Amino acid sequence: MQEAGKAMFASVPNFSPKDVDSLIVGAAQPERFIFQAHVAPMVAEYLGITPRKVVARTELMCASGQAAIRYAWACVATGMADIAVAFGVEKMYMPDMTEAQTNMTCVLDREWDGVNGLSAPPFFAMTAQRHMHEFGTTKEQMALISTKNHHYSTMNPVAHFQKEVAVEDVFKSPMIAPPLNLFDCSSMTDGAAGLILVPAEDAKKFTDTPMYIIGSGQANIGNVINNLASLTEWIPLKMAVQETLRTAKITRDEIDIAELHDCFTISEILEYEAFGWCEKGKGGKFVEDGEPYIGGKVAVNPRGGLLGCGHPLGATAILQTLDILQQFRGEVPEGRLVKDAEIAVAHNLSGAANVHSILAYSRGPK
Amino acid sequence: MSAKFEKIKRQDMIKLPYMLDFYPLQDEKFTRIGKFFQNLKEGKLTTTKCKNCGKLFWPPRIVCSECFSENLEWVDLGVEGELYAFTEMRLGAPLGFVEDAPFCIGLVKIGGLLISARIDEAKYEDLKARDKVKLKIVELQDGRVFYRFYKAKEL
Repeated sequence: MQEAGKAMFASVPNFSPKDVDSLIVGAAQPERFIFQAHVAPMVAEYLGITPRKVVARTELMCASGQAAIRYAWACVATGMADIAVAFGVEKMYMPDMTEAQTNMTCVLDREWDGVNGLSAPPFFAMTAQRHMHEFGTTKEQMALISTKNHHYSTMNPVAHFQKEVAVEDVFKSPMIAPPLNLFDCSSMTDGAAGLILVPAEDAKKFTDTPMYIIGSGQANIGNVINNLASLTEWIPLKMAVQETLRTAKITRDEIDIAELHDCFTISEILEYEAFGWCEKGKGGKFVEDGEPYIGGKVAVNPRGGLLGCGHPLGATAILQTLDILQQFRGEVPEGRLVKDAEIAVAHNLSGAANVHSILAYSRGPK
Repeated sequence: MSAKFEKIKRQDMIKLPYMLDFYPLQDEKFTRIGKFFQNLKEGKLTTTKCKNCGKLFWPPRIVCSECFSENLEWVDLGVEGELYAFTEMRLGAPLGFVEDAPFCIGLVKIGGLLISARIDEAKYEDLKARDKVKLKIVELQDGRVFYRFYKAKEL
Protein backbone atom coordinates (compact mmCIF):
# COMPACT_ATOMS: atom_id res chain seq x y z
CA MET A 1 0.00 0.00 0.00
CA GLN A 2 2.76 2.44 0.97
CA GLU A 3 4.92 1.42 -1.99
CA ALA A 4 2.00 1.83 -4.38
CA GLY A 5 1.24 5.28 -2.96
CA LYS A 6 4.86 6.32 -3.29
CA ALA A 7 5.00 5.12 -6.92
CA MET A 8 1.77 6.92 -7.76
CA PHE A 9 2.95 10.27 -6.43
CA ALA A 10 6.46 9.81 -7.86
CA SER A 11 4.97 9.43 -11.34
CA VAL A 12 3.61 13.01 -11.31
CA PRO A 13 6.28 15.70 -10.72
CA ASN A 14 5.38 18.64 -8.49
CA PHE A 15 2.32 16.84 -7.18
CA SER A 16 1.88 15.90 -3.56
CA PRO A 17 -0.64 14.06 -1.38
CA LYS A 18 -1.77 17.45 -0.07
CA ASP A 19 -3.18 18.27 -3.54
CA VAL A 20 -5.62 15.34 -3.36
CA ASP A 21 -9.06 16.30 -2.02
CA SER A 22 -10.84 12.96 -2.39
CA LEU A 23 -10.07 9.27 -1.96
CA ILE A 24 -12.07 6.22 -2.99
CA VAL A 25 -10.59 2.88 -1.93
CA GLY A 26 -11.56 -0.40 -3.60
CA ALA A 27 -11.17 -3.32 -1.20
CA ALA A 28 -13.29 -6.45 -1.32
CA GLN A 29 -12.96 -8.27 1.99
CA PRO A 30 -10.58 -6.60 4.45
CA GLU A 31 -12.97 -7.55 7.28
CA ARG A 32 -12.26 -11.20 6.57
CA PHE A 33 -8.71 -11.19 5.19
CA ILE A 34 -7.11 -8.85 7.73
CA PHE A 35 -9.96 -8.39 10.26
CA GLN A 36 -10.08 -4.69 9.51
CA ALA A 37 -12.99 -2.46 8.52
CA HIS A 38 -12.98 1.28 7.68
CA VAL A 39 -9.93 0.98 5.44
CA ALA A 40 -10.30 4.21 3.41
CA PRO A 41 -9.05 6.40 6.30
CA MET A 42 -6.23 3.93 6.84
CA VAL A 43 -5.11 4.33 3.21
CA ALA A 44 -5.41 8.12 3.54
CA GLU A 45 -3.21 8.06 6.63
CA TYR A 46 -0.48 5.88 5.12
CA LEU A 47 -0.44 7.84 1.84
CA GLY A 48 -0.42 11.24 3.55
CA ILE A 49 -3.73 12.25 2.01
CA THR A 50 -6.18 14.47 3.92
CA PRO A 51 -9.48 14.06 2.07
CA ARG A 52 -11.68 17.13 2.39
CA LYS A 53 -14.37 16.47 -0.21
CA VAL A 54 -15.07 12.75 -0.56
CA VAL A 55 -13.72 9.66 1.24
CA ALA A 56 -15.19 6.16 1.07
CA ARG A 57 -14.52 2.52 0.27
CA THR A 58 -16.18 0.54 -2.53
CA GLU A 59 -16.96 -3.17 -2.43
CA LEU A 60 -17.99 -5.13 -5.50
CA MET A 61 -15.93 -8.24 -4.80
CA CYS A 62 -13.57 -8.88 -7.72
CA ALA A 63 -14.63 -5.58 -9.32
CA SER A 64 -14.12 -3.49 -6.15
CA GLY A 65 -11.24 -1.59 -7.76
CA GLN A 66 -13.26 -0.74 -10.84
CA ALA A 67 -16.05 0.49 -8.57
CA ALA A 68 -13.48 2.82 -6.98
CA ILE A 69 -12.50 4.23 -10.38
CA ARG A 70 -16.15 4.67 -11.33
CA TYR A 71 -17.01 6.63 -8.19
CA ALA A 72 -13.83 8.71 -8.30
CA TRP A 73 -14.72 9.49 -11.93
CA ALA A 74 -18.30 10.40 -10.99
CA CYS A 75 -17.05 12.66 -8.19
CA VAL A 76 -14.66 14.50 -10.48
CA ALA A 77 -17.22 14.72 -13.31
CA THR A 78 -19.93 16.18 -11.07
CA GLY A 79 -17.60 18.57 -9.27
CA MET A 80 -17.99 16.82 -5.92
CA ALA A 81 -14.21 16.41 -6.11
CA ASP A 82 -11.49 18.26 -8.00
CA ILE A 83 -8.61 15.82 -7.62
CA ALA A 84 -9.50 12.27 -6.60
CA VAL A 85 -7.39 9.19 -6.02
CA ALA A 86 -8.88 5.79 -6.84
CA PHE A 87 -6.85 3.30 -4.83
CA GLY A 88 -7.16 -0.48 -4.74
CA VAL A 89 -5.76 -2.81 -2.13
CA GLU A 90 -6.14 -6.40 -0.96
CA LYS A 91 -4.04 -8.42 1.47
CA MET A 92 -4.88 -12.08 0.80
CA TYR A 93 -1.85 -14.13 1.83
CA MET A 94 -2.64 -15.71 5.20
CA PRO A 95 -0.79 -18.20 7.42
CA ASP A 96 -3.58 -20.71 6.79
CA MET A 97 -4.88 -20.46 3.25
CA THR A 98 -7.92 -22.55 4.19
CA GLU A 99 -9.20 -19.45 5.91
CA ALA A 100 -8.65 -17.45 2.72
CA GLN A 101 -10.58 -20.08 0.75
CA THR A 102 -13.35 -19.79 3.30
CA ASN A 103 -13.59 -16.05 2.69
CA MET A 104 -14.17 -16.70 -0.98
CA THR A 105 -17.15 -18.91 -0.16
CA CYS A 106 -19.37 -16.03 1.00
CA VAL A 107 -19.26 -14.31 -2.39
CA LEU A 108 -22.11 -16.25 -3.91
CA ASP A 109 -25.27 -16.40 -1.78
CA ARG A 110 -23.79 -18.06 1.31
CA GLU A 111 -26.95 -19.78 2.58
CA TRP A 112 -28.04 -21.31 -0.75
CA ASP A 113 -24.88 -21.63 -2.88
CA GLY A 114 -21.84 -21.14 -0.61
CA VAL A 115 -23.28 -23.77 1.72
CA ASN A 116 -22.78 -26.34 -1.03
CA GLY A 117 -19.08 -25.52 -1.24
CA LEU A 118 -19.50 -23.08 -4.11
CA SER A 119 -16.47 -20.82 -3.89
CA ALA A 120 -15.01 -19.44 -7.11
CA PRO A 121 -13.16 -22.51 -8.49
CA PRO A 122 -16.12 -24.94 -8.39
CA PHE A 123 -18.50 -22.31 -9.81
CA PHE A 124 -16.25 -21.61 -12.80
CA ALA A 125 -15.48 -25.34 -13.08
CA MET A 126 -19.20 -25.96 -13.66
CA THR A 127 -19.25 -23.12 -16.19
CA ALA A 128 -16.35 -24.82 -17.99
CA GLN A 129 -17.92 -28.27 -17.74
CA ARG A 130 -21.16 -26.97 -19.25
CA HIS A 131 -19.37 -24.96 -21.98
CA MET A 132 -17.39 -28.07 -22.94
CA HIS A 133 -20.62 -30.09 -22.98
CA GLU A 134 -22.58 -27.58 -25.09
CA PHE A 135 -19.92 -26.33 -27.49
CA GLY A 136 -17.11 -28.89 -27.48
CA THR A 137 -14.63 -26.48 -25.89
CA THR A 138 -11.50 -28.40 -24.87
CA LYS A 139 -9.11 -28.35 -21.94
CA GLU A 140 -6.30 -27.65 -24.42
CA GLN A 141 -8.08 -24.49 -25.56
CA MET A 142 -8.52 -23.37 -21.95
CA ALA A 143 -4.85 -24.09 -21.24
CA LEU A 144 -3.87 -21.83 -24.16
CA ILE A 145 -5.35 -18.88 -22.25
CA SER A 146 -3.06 -19.69 -19.31
CA THR A 147 -0.08 -20.07 -21.65
CA LYS A 148 -0.75 -16.74 -23.36
CA ASN A 149 -1.26 -14.73 -20.19
CA HIS A 150 1.68 -16.27 -18.34
CA HIS A 151 3.82 -15.50 -21.41
CA TYR A 152 2.96 -11.81 -21.19
CA SER A 153 3.39 -11.73 -17.41
CA THR A 154 7.03 -12.86 -17.79
CA MET A 155 7.58 -9.36 -19.17
CA ASN A 156 5.74 -7.62 -16.33
CA PRO A 157 8.02 -6.94 -13.35
CA VAL A 158 5.07 -6.50 -10.95
CA ALA A 159 3.43 -9.81 -11.96
CA HIS A 160 3.08 -12.55 -9.32
CA PHE A 161 4.20 -15.20 -11.85
CA GLN A 162 7.32 -14.74 -13.95
CA LYS A 163 7.62 -18.13 -15.66
CA GLU A 164 6.32 -19.48 -18.94
CA VAL A 165 3.54 -22.05 -18.54
CA ALA A 166 3.13 -24.64 -21.32
CA VAL A 167 -0.13 -26.47 -22.05
CA GLU A 168 1.30 -29.65 -20.49
CA ASP A 169 2.27 -27.65 -17.36
CA VAL A 170 -1.41 -26.73 -16.94
CA PHE A 171 -2.41 -30.39 -17.30
CA LYS A 172 0.26 -31.50 -14.80
CA SER A 173 -0.70 -28.91 -12.17
CA PRO A 174 -2.91 -30.15 -9.31
CA MET A 175 -6.60 -30.68 -10.07
CA ILE A 176 -8.59 -28.12 -8.08
CA ALA A 177 -12.14 -28.73 -9.30
CA PRO A 178 -12.40 -30.65 -12.56
CA PRO A 179 -12.12 -29.62 -15.32
CA LEU A 180 -9.99 -26.83 -13.77
CA ASN A 181 -6.36 -27.45 -12.84
CA LEU A 182 -4.37 -25.06 -10.67
CA PHE A 183 -3.00 -23.14 -13.68
CA ASP A 184 -6.56 -22.62 -14.96
CA CYS A 185 -7.09 -20.48 -11.84
CA SER A 186 -5.83 -17.02 -10.90
CA SER A 187 -4.15 -16.76 -7.54
CA MET A 188 -4.69 -15.12 -4.19
CA THR A 189 -2.19 -12.30 -4.21
CA ASP A 190 -1.32 -9.25 -2.13
CA GLY A 191 -1.45 -6.05 -4.14
CA ALA A 192 -2.08 -2.33 -4.19
CA ALA A 193 -2.12 0.43 -6.79
CA GLY A 194 -3.50 3.92 -7.25
CA LEU A 195 -4.71 6.26 -9.99
CA ILE A 196 -5.18 10.03 -9.97
CA LEU A 197 -8.35 11.38 -11.60
CA VAL A 198 -8.89 15.02 -12.56
CA PRO A 199 -11.28 16.71 -15.01
CA ALA A 200 -10.15 16.08 -18.62
CA GLU A 201 -9.58 19.78 -19.26
CA ASP A 202 -7.16 19.97 -16.30
CA ALA A 203 -5.19 16.82 -17.13
CA LYS A 204 -2.36 18.50 -19.04
CA LYS A 205 -1.57 20.65 -16.00
CA PHE A 206 -0.33 17.48 -14.30
CA THR A 207 1.18 15.40 -17.11
CA ASP A 208 1.87 15.55 -20.85
CA THR A 209 0.63 11.98 -21.18
CA PRO A 210 -2.72 11.47 -19.42
CA MET A 211 -5.37 9.09 -20.66
CA TYR A 212 -9.08 9.67 -20.87
CA ILE A 213 -12.15 7.74 -19.75
CA ILE A 214 -14.38 7.71 -22.83
CA GLY A 215 -17.17 5.32 -21.91
CA SER A 216 -18.50 2.73 -19.53
CA GLY A 217 -20.95 -0.10 -19.18
CA GLN A 218 -22.12 -2.16 -16.26
CA ALA A 219 -24.91 -4.72 -15.85
CA ASN A 220 -26.15 -7.20 -13.27
CA ILE A 221 -28.68 -10.02 -13.68
CA GLY A 222 -29.64 -12.10 -10.64
CA ASN A 223 -27.47 -13.41 -7.84
CA VAL A 224 -28.37 -16.91 -6.70
CA ILE A 225 -27.73 -19.65 -9.31
CA ASN A 226 -31.44 -20.01 -10.20
CA ASN A 227 -31.67 -16.34 -11.13
CA LEU A 228 -28.64 -16.08 -13.43
CA ALA A 229 -29.45 -15.30 -17.07
CA SER A 230 -27.34 -18.21 -18.33
CA LEU A 231 -24.35 -20.25 -17.20
CA THR A 232 -22.59 -20.36 -20.56
CA GLU A 233 -23.56 -17.08 -22.19
CA TRP A 234 -22.75 -13.98 -20.17
CA ILE A 235 -25.78 -11.83 -21.00
CA PRO A 236 -24.94 -9.02 -18.51
CA LEU A 237 -21.50 -8.76 -20.14
CA LYS A 238 -23.11 -8.46 -23.58
CA MET A 239 -25.26 -5.64 -22.16
CA ALA A 240 -22.23 -3.91 -20.61
CA VAL A 241 -20.30 -4.20 -23.90
CA GLN A 242 -23.14 -2.58 -25.86
CA GLU A 243 -23.40 0.23 -23.32
CA THR A 244 -19.62 0.78 -23.41
CA LEU A 245 -19.52 0.95 -27.21
CA ARG A 246 -22.53 3.30 -27.23
CA THR A 247 -21.19 5.70 -24.60
CA ALA A 248 -17.62 5.67 -25.98
CA LYS A 249 -18.93 6.02 -29.55
CA ILE A 250 -16.60 3.29 -30.76
CA THR A 251 -17.00 -0.07 -32.50
CA ARG A 252 -15.56 -3.26 -31.03
CA ASP A 253 -13.07 -3.39 -33.92
CA GLU A 254 -11.53 -0.11 -32.74
CA ILE A 255 -10.44 -1.67 -29.43
CA ASP A 256 -6.66 -2.18 -29.52
CA ILE A 257 -6.17 -3.53 -25.99
CA ALA A 258 -8.64 -5.47 -23.86
CA GLU A 259 -7.76 -6.12 -20.23
CA LEU A 260 -10.30 -8.86 -19.53
CA HIS A 261 -11.09 -10.53 -16.23
CA ASP A 262 -9.40 -13.94 -16.66
CA CYS A 263 -10.01 -15.13 -13.10
CA PHE A 264 -10.19 -18.59 -14.68
CA THR A 265 -9.21 -19.68 -18.19
CA ILE A 266 -12.85 -20.38 -19.08
CA SER A 267 -13.75 -16.78 -18.18
CA GLU A 268 -11.63 -15.31 -20.96
CA ILE A 269 -13.21 -17.71 -23.48
CA LEU A 270 -16.73 -16.57 -22.53
CA GLU A 271 -15.56 -12.95 -22.67
CA TYR A 272 -14.35 -13.22 -26.31
CA GLU A 273 -17.86 -14.43 -27.13
CA ALA A 274 -19.72 -11.76 -25.16
CA PHE A 275 -17.58 -8.97 -26.61
CA GLY A 276 -18.60 -10.28 -30.03
CA TRP A 277 -15.11 -10.92 -31.39
CA CYS A 278 -16.26 -14.43 -32.17
CA GLU A 279 -19.54 -16.36 -32.21
CA LYS A 280 -21.13 -17.90 -29.13
CA GLY A 281 -19.38 -21.19 -28.37
CA LYS A 282 -16.34 -20.36 -30.53
CA GLY A 283 -14.16 -18.73 -27.85
CA GLY A 284 -11.90 -21.78 -27.68
CA LYS A 285 -11.22 -21.66 -31.41
CA PHE A 286 -10.58 -17.90 -31.16
CA VAL A 287 -7.56 -18.46 -28.91
CA GLU A 288 -6.48 -21.52 -30.90
CA ASP A 289 -6.35 -19.28 -33.99
CA GLY A 290 -4.09 -16.79 -32.19
CA GLU A 291 -6.63 -13.96 -32.40
CA PRO A 292 -6.29 -12.62 -28.82
CA TYR A 293 -2.50 -12.26 -29.06
CA ILE A 294 -0.72 -8.99 -29.87
CA GLY A 295 -0.93 -8.75 -33.66
CA GLY A 296 -4.19 -10.73 -33.76
CA LYS A 297 -7.73 -9.40 -33.88
CA VAL A 298 -7.39 -7.76 -30.44
CA ALA A 299 -4.62 -7.86 -27.83
CA VAL A 300 -6.20 -9.49 -24.80
CA ASN A 301 -4.38 -9.20 -21.47
CA PRO A 302 -0.94 -8.05 -22.68
CA ARG A 303 -0.37 -7.17 -18.99
CA GLY A 304 -0.38 -10.89 -18.16
CA GLY A 305 -3.96 -11.02 -16.92
CA LEU A 306 -5.12 -12.17 -13.53
CA LEU A 307 -3.67 -15.59 -14.36
CA GLY A 308 -0.16 -14.21 -14.75
CA CYS A 309 -0.26 -11.18 -12.43
CA GLY A 310 -2.36 -12.62 -9.62
CA HIS A 311 -5.71 -11.32 -8.43
CA PRO A 312 -5.54 -9.01 -5.40
CA LEU A 313 -9.30 -8.37 -5.51
CA GLY A 314 -9.53 -4.63 -4.79
CA ALA A 315 -6.29 -3.80 -6.61
CA THR A 316 -6.84 -5.77 -9.82
CA ALA A 317 -8.86 -3.16 -11.76
CA ILE A 318 -6.44 -0.40 -10.77
CA LEU A 319 -3.49 -2.51 -11.95
CA GLN A 320 -5.24 -3.26 -15.28
CA THR A 321 -5.84 0.45 -15.78
CA LEU A 322 -2.29 1.45 -14.87
CA ASP A 323 -0.97 -1.01 -17.42
CA ILE A 324 -3.21 0.49 -20.10
CA LEU A 325 -1.76 3.92 -19.25
CA GLN A 326 1.77 2.54 -19.52
CA GLN A 327 0.86 0.90 -22.85
CA PHE A 328 -0.38 4.26 -24.19
CA ARG A 329 2.85 5.86 -22.98
CA GLY A 330 4.98 3.13 -24.58
CA GLU A 331 6.50 2.31 -21.19
CA VAL A 332 6.04 -1.48 -21.26
CA PRO A 333 8.66 -3.96 -22.58
CA GLU A 334 8.77 -4.43 -26.35
CA GLY A 335 7.56 -8.05 -26.19
CA ARG A 336 4.18 -7.08 -24.77
CA LEU A 337 3.83 -3.58 -26.24
CA VAL A 338 0.73 -2.97 -28.37
CA LYS A 339 2.20 -0.44 -30.81
CA ASP A 340 0.20 2.73 -31.50
CA ALA A 341 -2.67 1.62 -29.32
CA GLU A 342 -5.33 4.33 -29.11
CA ILE A 343 -8.33 2.67 -27.44
CA ALA A 344 -8.49 0.14 -24.62
CA VAL A 345 -11.12 -1.44 -22.40
CA ALA A 346 -10.75 -2.82 -18.88
CA HIS A 347 -13.29 -5.40 -17.77
CA ASN A 348 -14.06 -7.02 -14.43
CA LEU A 349 -16.62 -9.59 -13.51
CA SER A 350 -17.74 -10.31 -10.00
CA GLY A 351 -19.69 -12.97 -8.13
CA ALA A 352 -21.25 -15.72 -10.21
CA ALA A 353 -20.38 -13.65 -13.32
CA ASN A 354 -23.74 -11.99 -12.66
CA VAL A 355 -22.11 -8.54 -12.58
CA HIS A 356 -19.89 -7.18 -15.35
CA SER A 357 -18.16 -3.79 -15.31
CA ILE A 358 -16.29 -2.15 -18.19
CA LEU A 359 -14.48 1.16 -18.60
CA ALA A 360 -13.15 2.39 -21.97
CA TYR A 361 -10.02 4.54 -22.24
CA SER A 362 -8.33 6.51 -25.03
CA ARG A 363 -4.82 7.85 -25.40
CA GLY A 364 -6.01 11.19 -26.74
CA PRO A 365 -8.99 13.33 -25.77
CA LYS A 366 -12.19 12.21 -27.45
CA MET B 1 15.99 -15.07 24.12
CA SER B 2 12.27 -15.73 24.50
CA ALA B 3 12.76 -16.43 28.22
CA LYS B 4 12.90 -12.67 28.66
CA PHE B 5 9.28 -12.25 27.75
CA GLU B 6 6.19 -13.01 29.75
CA LYS B 7 4.26 -15.81 28.05
CA ILE B 8 0.65 -15.12 27.23
CA LYS B 9 -1.90 -17.48 25.75
CA ARG B 10 -4.09 -17.26 22.69
CA GLN B 11 -6.59 -20.03 22.09
CA ASP B 12 -5.48 -22.02 19.05
CA MET B 13 -8.77 -23.74 18.43
CA ILE B 14 -12.17 -22.20 18.82
CA LYS B 15 -15.61 -23.57 18.07
CA LEU B 16 -16.61 -22.54 14.54
CA PRO B 17 -18.55 -19.31 15.13
CA TYR B 18 -21.89 -18.81 13.43
CA MET B 19 -20.40 -16.09 11.24
CA LEU B 20 -18.33 -18.80 9.58
CA ASP B 21 -21.06 -21.41 9.54
CA PHE B 22 -22.34 -21.90 6.02
CA TYR B 23 -25.61 -23.49 7.09
CA PRO B 24 -28.54 -21.11 7.55
CA LEU B 25 -30.04 -20.46 10.97
CA GLN B 26 -33.39 -22.19 10.85
CA ASP B 27 -35.29 -21.40 14.01
CA GLU B 28 -38.25 -18.97 13.72
CA LYS B 29 -36.27 -16.66 16.05
CA PHE B 30 -33.73 -16.06 13.30
CA THR B 31 -35.59 -16.37 10.02
CA ARG B 32 -38.94 -15.61 8.41
CA ILE B 33 -38.69 -18.74 6.23
CA GLY B 34 -38.56 -21.26 9.08
CA LYS B 35 -41.34 -23.13 7.29
CA PHE B 36 -38.86 -24.14 4.57
CA PHE B 37 -36.79 -25.99 7.15
CA GLN B 38 -39.86 -27.48 8.86
CA ASN B 39 -40.95 -28.83 5.48
CA LEU B 40 -37.45 -30.17 4.91
CA LYS B 41 -37.64 -32.03 8.23
CA GLU B 42 -40.77 -33.71 6.85
CA GLY B 43 -38.81 -34.79 3.78
CA LYS B 44 -40.15 -32.11 1.45
CA LEU B 45 -38.08 -29.64 -0.57
CA THR B 46 -40.31 -26.61 -1.02
CA THR B 47 -40.24 -23.00 -2.08
CA THR B 48 -42.62 -20.08 -2.27
CA LYS B 49 -44.87 -19.09 -5.15
CA CYS B 50 -46.79 -15.82 -5.41
CA LYS B 51 -50.54 -16.48 -5.29
CA ASN B 52 -51.15 -13.09 -6.84
CA CYS B 53 -48.90 -13.16 -9.94
CA GLY B 54 -47.77 -16.79 -10.04
CA LYS B 55 -44.02 -16.13 -9.84
CA LEU B 56 -42.01 -19.07 -8.48
CA PHE B 57 -39.06 -18.03 -6.33
CA TRP B 58 -35.74 -19.48 -5.28
CA PRO B 59 -34.70 -18.98 -2.58
CA PRO B 60 -38.04 -18.79 -0.74
CA ARG B 61 -39.35 -15.27 -0.07
CA ILE B 62 -41.78 -13.55 2.21
CA VAL B 63 -42.54 -10.76 -0.28
CA CYS B 64 -42.99 -11.15 -4.06
CA SER B 65 -40.39 -8.98 -5.83
CA GLU B 66 -42.55 -8.88 -8.99
CA CYS B 67 -45.80 -7.53 -7.53
CA PHE B 68 -44.89 -7.00 -3.85
CA SER B 69 -47.70 -9.25 -2.70
CA GLU B 70 -47.21 -10.97 0.65
CA ASN B 71 -49.73 -13.62 -0.33
CA LEU B 72 -47.28 -16.45 -1.04
CA GLU B 73 -47.82 -20.20 -0.84
CA TRP B 74 -45.42 -23.08 -0.21
CA VAL B 75 -45.08 -25.48 -3.15
CA ASP B 76 -43.43 -28.91 -3.18
CA LEU B 77 -40.59 -29.25 -5.70
CA GLY B 78 -40.62 -33.04 -5.72
CA VAL B 79 -37.81 -35.48 -5.01
CA GLU B 80 -36.28 -36.09 -8.42
CA GLY B 81 -34.08 -33.70 -10.37
CA GLU B 82 -31.87 -33.67 -13.45
CA LEU B 83 -28.18 -32.77 -13.37
CA TYR B 84 -27.38 -29.67 -15.46
CA ALA B 85 -23.70 -29.01 -14.59
CA PHE B 86 -21.25 -30.46 -12.08
CA THR B 87 -17.77 -30.45 -10.63
CA GLU B 88 -15.90 -31.96 -7.71
CA MET B 89 -14.27 -29.99 -4.88
CA ARG B 90 -10.83 -31.56 -4.61
CA LEU B 91 -8.55 -28.80 -3.31
CA GLY B 92 -9.36 -25.49 -1.67
CA ALA B 93 -12.43 -26.50 0.33
CA PRO B 94 -13.45 -23.95 2.97
CA LEU B 95 -13.29 -24.48 6.75
CA GLY B 96 -15.97 -26.90 7.85
CA PHE B 97 -15.86 -28.77 4.52
CA VAL B 98 -12.17 -29.68 4.34
CA GLU B 99 -12.82 -33.11 5.85
CA ASP B 100 -15.56 -33.77 3.27
CA ALA B 101 -13.32 -33.26 0.22
CA PRO B 102 -13.40 -34.57 -2.39
CA PHE B 103 -17.13 -34.05 -2.87
CA CYS B 104 -19.28 -33.35 -5.92
CA ILE B 105 -21.31 -30.20 -6.44
CA GLY B 106 -23.94 -29.87 -9.12
CA LEU B 107 -26.60 -27.63 -10.55
CA VAL B 108 -29.89 -29.50 -10.47
CA LYS B 109 -33.06 -28.81 -12.45
CA ILE B 110 -35.99 -29.51 -10.17
CA GLY B 111 -39.59 -28.33 -10.11
CA GLY B 112 -38.93 -25.55 -12.63
CA LEU B 113 -35.84 -24.26 -10.78
CA LEU B 114 -32.08 -24.58 -11.19
CA ILE B 115 -30.40 -24.92 -7.79
CA SER B 116 -26.92 -25.78 -6.56
CA ALA B 117 -26.44 -28.72 -4.22
CA ARG B 118 -23.97 -31.32 -3.05
CA ILE B 119 -24.21 -34.51 -5.13
CA ASP B 120 -23.48 -37.50 -2.92
CA GLU B 121 -22.54 -41.07 -3.81
CA ALA B 122 -20.69 -40.11 -7.00
CA LYS B 123 -17.28 -39.16 -8.30
CA TYR B 124 -16.81 -36.54 -11.02
CA GLU B 125 -16.01 -39.27 -13.54
CA ASP B 126 -19.34 -41.01 -12.82
CA LEU B 127 -21.44 -37.96 -13.66
CA LYS B 128 -22.85 -36.67 -16.91
CA ALA B 129 -25.32 -33.96 -17.90
CA ARG B 130 -28.98 -35.02 -17.57
CA ASP B 131 -28.24 -37.70 -14.97
CA LYS B 132 -31.21 -38.32 -12.70
CA VAL B 133 -30.57 -37.29 -9.11
CA LYS B 134 -32.72 -37.85 -6.03
CA LEU B 135 -33.33 -35.67 -3.00
CA LYS B 136 -31.81 -36.57 0.34
CA ILE B 137 -32.03 -34.70 3.63
CA VAL B 138 -29.03 -34.41 5.92
CA GLU B 139 -29.05 -33.42 9.60
CA LEU B 140 -26.34 -31.52 11.49
CA GLN B 141 -25.37 -32.39 15.11
CA ASP B 142 -27.41 -29.43 16.34
CA GLY B 143 -30.58 -30.62 14.63
CA ARG B 144 -30.52 -28.28 11.67
CA VAL B 145 -31.31 -29.91 8.32
CA PHE B 146 -30.28 -29.32 4.72
CA TYR B 147 -30.89 -30.83 1.30
CA ARG B 148 -28.51 -32.71 -0.96
CA PHE B 149 -28.97 -35.01 -3.94
CA TYR B 150 -27.52 -38.39 -4.81
CA LYS B 151 -27.08 -40.03 -8.14
CA ALA B 152 -30.00 -42.39 -8.78
CA LYS B 153 -29.04 -45.97 -9.59
CA GLU B 154 -29.49 -46.82 -13.26
CA LEU B 155 -32.35 -49.23 -13.91
